Amino acid sequence: MLFRVIDKTELPELLNGFLVAHQVIGPVDKGDHFEFAPVTAADELALDYTLTTLPPKKYLLPPRETLLSFGTTHAEDIEVVCEVTPRVIFGVHACDINAINRLDAVFLGDEFPDPYYRARREATLVVGISCTPFAECLCGLWGTGEVHSGYDLFLFDLGEVYLVSIYSVEGANILEATCHPRPATPAEVLDFEICSKRFHDSFAALPDTAELPMLMDVLHKDATWDELGERCLSCTACSVSCPTCYCFDLIDLTDPDGCGGRRQRVWDSCNSPGFAVVAGGHNFRDSGRNRVRHRFYHKLLSFRAKYGDMLCVGCGRCVRSCKADINPRTVIERLYRDRDRWLTEQGSGATGAEAAAAPAIKAEAAPATPPASVAEQGSGA
Amino acid sequence: MKNAMSANPYRPWPARITSIIDLTAKEKLFEFRLIDSAIREGFRHTAGQFVELSLFGIGEAPISISSAPSKQGFIELCVRASGSVTGALHRMKCGDIVGLRGPFGRGFPFEEMRGHDVLLVAGGLGIAPLKSLINHIHDERHDFGKVTIAYGSRTPADIMFLDQFKMWQHRQDFDLHLLVSQPDDEWTGEVGYVTQCFEGLRVNPLRTYGAIVGPPVMYKSVIEEMRKKGISYDMIYMSFERQMKCGMGKCGHCAVGHQYICVDGPVFNYWEAKNIQGAI
Repeated sequence: MLFRVIDKTELPELLNGFLVAHQVIGPVDKGDHFEFAPVTAADELALDYTLTTLPPKKYLLPPRETLLSFGTTHAEDIEVVCEVTPRVIFGVHACDINAINRLDAVFLGDEFPDPYYRARREATLVVGISCTPFAECLCGLWGTGEVHSGYDLFLFDLGEVYLVSIYSVEGANILEATCHPRPATPAEVLDFEICSKRFHDSFAALPDTAELPMLMDVLHKDATWDELGERCLSCTACSVSCPTCYCFDLIDLTDPDGCGGRRQRVWDSCNSPGFAVVAGGHNFRDSGRNRVRHRFYHKLLSFRAKYGDMLCVGCGRCVRSCKADINPRTVIERLYRDRDRWLTEQGSGATGAEAAAAPAIKAEAAPATPPASVAEQGSGA
Repeated sequence: MKNAMSANPYRPWPARITSIIDLTAKEKLFEFRLIDSAIREGFRHTAGQFVELSLFGIGEAPISISSAPSKQGFIELCVRASGSVTGALHRMKCGDIVGLRGPFGRGFPFEEMRGHDVLLVAGGLGIAPLKSLINHIHDERHDFGKVTIAYGSRTPADIMFLDQFKMWQHRQDFDLHLLVSQPDDEWTGEVGYVTQCFEGLRVNPLRTYGAIVGPPVMYKSVIEEMRKKGISYDMIYMSFERQMKCGMGKCGHCAVGHQYICVDGPVFNYWEAKNIQGAI
């Protein structure tokens, strides 16, 4: 990875360099909100934006996309549909790039690489931009305010200049063709260090998360999930606005003339009441409690078990979009609060080992029995 | 099929319905033949795996494969009419064309089971995927020790594959139990739940694999009986039912705990299942 410096006045030329062969998507000021949208000139970009309403995932995993077309009279007439536009997403914060890396792990790295996602991802360049944390930001929880891969160029704003982290050869080629990149001076290196320290110090007030995976297991039956489940409106705004939520549904549409149709992939959400319904009508997550808990377990525990990372990058969009105030911060604070309450209820005799072995905490019925054998620790849905 | 599919695993392959057998009032057994010969010949599955069945314009449904891996060229699916896709399939006739993609998921560990005693328990529609395993064991019977099969239905009219059972009953080397919990006047067989087969059943826990497929309520009680016989956690296998939309561990509909039923299962051993919050 190389680091070079360019003057901020060179930004329009850099953008023009990308515009030659790409559609450029960037943060645009829409008055009451920011959104990622196509731009054609540097003055349309709002690079000092706080948070866009929707994350850039919509350009890699569109809200609705056609996968196949078919003839309804001759089912054999299946055609695979995959339309791709070469794009650069310009001005993406580190959290959102980390989110793209999570999506890459799911859609590129598994046993079944997703051909649609792959085609879009390979045709997409990412240019990152540094940011100033604001009230809703939670990237300090997971260290996702920094990113070390997944972009082509990353611009650190140092006032008059950008310190550019160059990751890909495509990024390097366009940077060198349009700007005059030079090595950083000692003063610029010091500036970068100061900015970096200021960034990290701004998260001092975030809750502790070191024991979170263990707590999530111990508090699986905690009453907090009932309360959150009752509050959840099942509006799915959290999933829609989340840069890492990737669940989808597959639906068939028939053309009005009855001669053909399409199979489409559309965004879906595990907070949607019918998400886990199987044929015959049984719903494996029929309560808000089970759905909210499932979503947070996937975000904070399950995804990590499978892919090694949290499925939350702390972008803060759900902090804004959830009308019931359910987000990683409130969930973590509640879990630690309940842990403290439970330890108090257990009395001073409770040792750490006993605390960890108890399968569940219910305020009204904390079992004082010895640790159950593995066979008896059933895990209720 | 996998090689051909790897280009686009969402693409269903046309298959023709070659046979339809009425099993009960709600269930039919369909036999399909993939039209593309290369795809058909490349199709290999293990008992317990499933396919995504496409009816174009209506949608897809995940259905476990009923035919044994040893039977090639045709794919059998036992389908209950319970949704839009399965309901429409029930209205189709021989010669009609559907789409299939798969096979998906992890089936029963047939190779590990080889050389062991097996204790197979099915309830209701659970016999559909288990039939694949039973027939595979049937075809390679000399490789197995004692084979015990228990299949429970609610009423005699709900029993599927009665002809198959009668065929298996002629074999001396299958210990078969066919039970109904709500018998009619003509029923002369065993009455009760599958768990009662365990009374007096002699099991060598060191060399016995258990396999369970049935409605969710059945698992706890059957697992308990198997554990009482001393069978190890990791030698009790079970299959889970969820709505697998993509079959590839992505869409999220079948996620339970940290596992995706469609790629990590649908067959799990009890040790794995215990470690999935919310599975049982």
